[in-house]
Amino acid sequence: MFKDPDFAKKLKNQKSLLLLSIPFVVYVIIFNYAPLVGWLMAFQRYKPRDGLFHSEFIGLENFRFLFRNEDFILCVRNTLAMGIINLFLGTVCPIIFAILLSEFRFNMGKKFVQTISYLPHFLSMIILTGIVFDVLSMENGTINKVLMATGLIDKPVQWLAEPKYFWWIVAFATRWKETGWDSIIYLAAITSINPDLYEAASIDGAGRMRRIWHITLPGLKPTILILLIMNVGNVLNVGFELQYLLGNDLVKSVSETIDIYVLNYGIGKGNYAIGTAAGIFKSLVSIILIVIANTSAKAMGEESLY
Amino acid sequence: MAELTKTLPAPQTGKQRKSEDIGANTKHGIMSRRSKGDMVFDTLNTIFMIIFSIVILYPLLNMVAVSFNDGLDALKGGITLVPRVFTLKNYQTVLGKQSMFAAARTSVLRTVIGTVTSTMVTALLAYILSRKEFLFKKQLSLLYVVTMYVSGGLIPIFIVYKNLGLTNNFLVYILPGMVPAFSMLVLRTYMNGLPDSLAESAMIDGAGHMTIFIKIIFPLCMPVIATVALFTAVGQWNSWFDAMLYNKMDDDLTTLQYELMKLLSSVTNQKATAESAQHSTATVTPTSIRAAATVITSLPIIILYPFLQRYFVAGLTIGGVKE
Amino acid sequence: MKQIKRAAAFTLALAMAIGMAACGNVGSKGEQKTEKVTNSNGEEVEVKVFSAFFAVPGNELDDNNVVQDAIAEKIGAKCDMKWLTGQTAEEAIGVMIAGGDYPDFVDASSGMARMVEAGAFIAIDELWDNYPNIKNFYTEAQWNSIRADDGHIYIIPQFGNIWDHDTTCVHNDEAFWIQTRVLKWAGYPKIETLDEYFDLIERYVEANPTMEDGTPNIGYEILCDDWRYFCLENAPFFLDGYPNDGCCIVDRETHKAIDYNTTPTAERYFRKLNEEYKKGIIDPETFTMNYDAYISKLSTGRVCGMVDQHWDFNDAENAIKAAGLDDCTYVPVGITIDKGMDEHWHSNSALDVSNGVGITVSCKDPEGAMQFMNDLLDPEILTMRNWGLEGVNYNKGEDGVFTRTDEMRRNSEDQAYMNANLCPYAYFPNYSGMDHDGINGCDPQHQATEFYDSLSDEVKECFDAYGVKTYVELCDPAQENEAWFPMWSYSNALTTDTPEGQVWADMASVKHEYLPKVCIAEDFDSAWKEYLDVYHKKCDVDGILLPAFDAEIQRRIDVANGK
Repeated sequence: MFKDPDFAKKLKNQKSLLLLSIPFVVYVIIFNYAPLVGWLMAFQRYKPRDGLFHSEFIGLENFRFLFRNEDFILCVRNTLAMGIINLFLGTVCPIIFAILLSEFRFNMGKKFVQTISYLPHFLSMIILTGIVFDVLSMENGTINKVLMATGLIDKPVQWLAEPKYFWWIVAFATRWKETGWDSIIYLAAITSINPDLYEAASIDGAGRMRRIWHITLPGLKPTILILLIMNVGNVLNVGFELQYLLGNDLVKSVSETIDIYVLNYGIGKGNYAIGTAAGIFKSLVSIILIVIANTSAKAMGEESLY
Repeated sequence: MAELTKTLPAPQTGKQRKSEDIGANTKHGIMSRRSKGDMVFDTLNTIFMIIFSIVILYPLLNMVAVSFNDGLDALKGGITLVPRVFTLKNYQTVLGKQSMFAAARTSVLRTVIGTVTSTMVTALLAYILSRKEFLFKKQLSLLYVVTMYVSGGLIPIFIVYKNLGLTNNFLVYILPGMVPAFSMLVLRTYMNGLPDSLAESAMIDGAGHMTIFIKIIFPLCMPVIATVALFTAVGQWNSWFDAMLYNKMDDDLTTLQYELMKLLSSVTNQKATAESAQHSTATVTPTSIRAAATVITSLPIIILYPFLQRYFVAGLTIGGVKE
Repeated sequence: MKQIKRAAAFTLALAMAIGMAACGNVGSKGEQKTEKVTNSNGEEVEVKVFSAFFAVPGNELDDNNVVQDAIAEKIGAKCDMKWLTGQTAEEAIGVMIAGGDYPDFVDASSGMARMVEAGAFIAIDELWDNYPNIKNFYTEAQWNSIRADDGHIYIIPQFGNIWDHDTTCVHNDEAFWIQTRVLKWAGYPKIETLDEYFDLIERYVEANPTMEDGTPNIGYEILCDDWRYFCLENAPFFLDGYPNDGCCIVDRETHKAIDYNTTPTAERYFRKLNEEYKKGIIDPETFTMNYDAYISKLSTGRVCGMVDQHWDFNDAENAIKAAGLDDCTYVPVGITIDKGMDEHWHSNSALDVSNGVGITVSCKDPEGAMQFMNDLLDPEILTMRNWGLEGVNYNKGEDGVFTRTDEMRRNSEDQAYMNANLCPYAYFPNYSGMDHDGINGCDPQHQATEFYDSLSDEVKECFDAYGVKTYVELCDPAQENEAWFPMWSYSNALTTDTPEGQVWADMASVKHEYLPKVCIAEDFDSAWKEYLDVYHKKCDVDGILLPAFDAEIQRRIDVANGK
């Protein structure tokens, strides 16, 4: 493109657009890219006193340390597992909820349910943890009570002490908090599907399920794809708050995420370089995943992010 | 089905639909001819919605009850939807803090100013990127998309902001995060769906890009702008980390959420030492204070939401239109 | 693709340039901040206002705090104090160091070593000649143990400096605690061993399954949340009769460190916990509770006993008192693993050289800051900090003895009142023990008469049964602190930069994971063996950690001997 003879002419034609875009380039570089200089830390034996420019460079030593460390590998596994569960449920649940809500026949009820569905989004993680503890409690927990009443279990289960339940507890807690909020964008997309299509389908005698399958879902497809591509990049960003607050020593082997590792071993023990190295690892994985997802979407002729 | 997708019209700009119309598809003469399958579906769906509402609402109402209940009594458990030992003490404790007024003022200011500037500026960027003739639209988009996944880390960011003079400065609430990539994508998608002819005819009349953006495009994007504004406003209202990190030493720049964090950590008495513990006596419990604080801070957003909801569900799309 | 690459290269170059430019530090010098306060004559006087950050949680004072303004009027300065919120001390300090801009005073808590390393503090010993209260705050030998590697003194440890003699009435440290109602039910027996302790609780819970209001009693709780897991893991060295060195046992003869995690006593202790867990005496939910949940459970008064530091469950005990459950508060029992051993649960307060407040390089008026701290150690000001204002917060009898009315006592426990009225300047140097008048305790908690009067009848009855007047007397009298005590001030400062720090971190990680498993295991022996195997495999304690401890012990002995 740079060799295009018309290039200069084109540039000239869009002078005003170029001028308008310059502040945006400067802005993003200052606020988002300049701090990336801090990544240098990951390749140093960083000491705060020496700062970024006088610390000793040690190449990939910090990365080598990370990947030889069993604890870190375990954290990567846990993060991936929770990330994938979250990616799956975080895509499916809001879509199903949005569709069901849009098909809900009582208008008053629809508004009501929609309004309450996003309320949990505003709760802090600490409050959410409190609720989870209450619900899962052995003494008065609703879940144990219900399961006992229905005879599915004969004595209360200690949910939070069993490693096998932990990922799912985190996943369901997250869903409870975010499903309503996440579904907003799908609900909006459903609204912009042409009503004539439904009309035509119903005249053809299509039932509810078929209309959802053949009209609503295809109408949602572009939205789903774009969000999916974006979220694939977030697979490792499962955070630390919920896992940290809900976790305990009995489920330590499944509850610790990369972020918790960074907190404990990086910042907690004053080892910023390790923390930064783990951060770079996460960013790199994110970008690789995004590029793969985006490229395959493009290759299949579907919607893509860029 | 791919065919169908392609024939979908762009977001409905001409006739904007209100939230009441979400999935109003069933209205068009279908109701009269409901099949058996539809009946089953509707029944199951209604049951699901009722259960869903209970699952969401019960813990929340329980929290409201706890917030009006005596803190010590609440620890015994067993409170359901009504307070057992009614008290306003929790609210008095939260609202009685001297710094609350300054904090509320800053919170409102940052939410209003932050939301307005962020939305305007992001919309302008989205407009630039939606111009099909713009040569660098791909590169510039990418530059912003990458910011969703890459971060320099807490300390480098702090150093840069500090050297920009953003510590102990109200602007630190406004400038960083002013152009969220996700909002940009949402806005750009919507603008891509607008007919090209609108801008083109204005261009022929000699209007510049700024004029087109302000006079034509921006007003047309109102529904999606309302949504993006809500996302931003919620983020602004809820954030406390920046207040702690950058403006800790300036009492005038504290925010509501940060004050509540302080209140909570002083009752929770985290990594206390022998000496500091002697000076913190809890007469209310962290649980009850937290409940009251959550109710107080969520209230403004909950009140605000129905007003925005009118616009907002219509037209919020991401993807859906090929560039 | 090509233009994307070019754009990326361009962006990167520009970002680097800006980032490099922005990462240099700029310091700013200016005038010391001042503020006007109204004095007792209604005149406005100008006072210096210093700023401070303490990397621990705390309560912010209200503007126009009564005692703070009264002190400011007398000494011409005040300090605006900020506390840790929503971050760890390491994070907060790390950010501060990176920015290179500090408040005038900082107590960095666990970020201490890094502050000194980053050169953030000014040397106090270069300025202190004009400030005798500071210079004489510690003895020469004590100051020497505080000196940094370069020979300078950067921080002043604020706590545990006894004026005259120790007057503490509460056992603020770790112990096996038990509710007075349990002791009362059994007729106040003498509890000497771990077995007797659990036996008593077992019998009590069997005889009294619920509280009066029907809430089931819980025999024993183990807090196991993050760094607070000391409630589970460190009892073995106490049970062996050693003081709270925190990270190891120190042999008093050979001055060598011993690992307490694998001793026969440790095995017997965990075997006991395992038995009690299976019997249902230990709360089945205990290992899934976080600190909040633990405090909530204790606050209901249901829990008969636990191991903890008193300051760690202080909030819960206050809640129990507030609920009127006077027979459910706790007293310490000084138990050991076998009968007839000396116990060492109570220690004299020791100088913690790893923490303290310092003046930072950003302070614009270091002399003024020194003067401020010096003035805060003035006898008159000390009384104002620790007791409040005469006639308002305490009354002075003709014999000079301070007393408080019930209302004054209530006020001193009401957080809102404290924020608006009292100003202990808690993280500035302070004396414990006696007040400088030689008559009173340094504060209400250290005034024996005032303390005993404020106890509930249930606790008084219990004290009478054992023939004591204070909590401290329930444990054996503290012995003279050894030169190396406390070793936790060394282990707390370890970082993963060093091999011993790495072992220390790995050790914590293994113990966190395996000790709870050991307690709940069906088969204790195999679980214990698994723990030992992993422990020995992952942590080279004998080869790396203990030698490091030995070296530190020797270093401290040498410093104490003036070498």
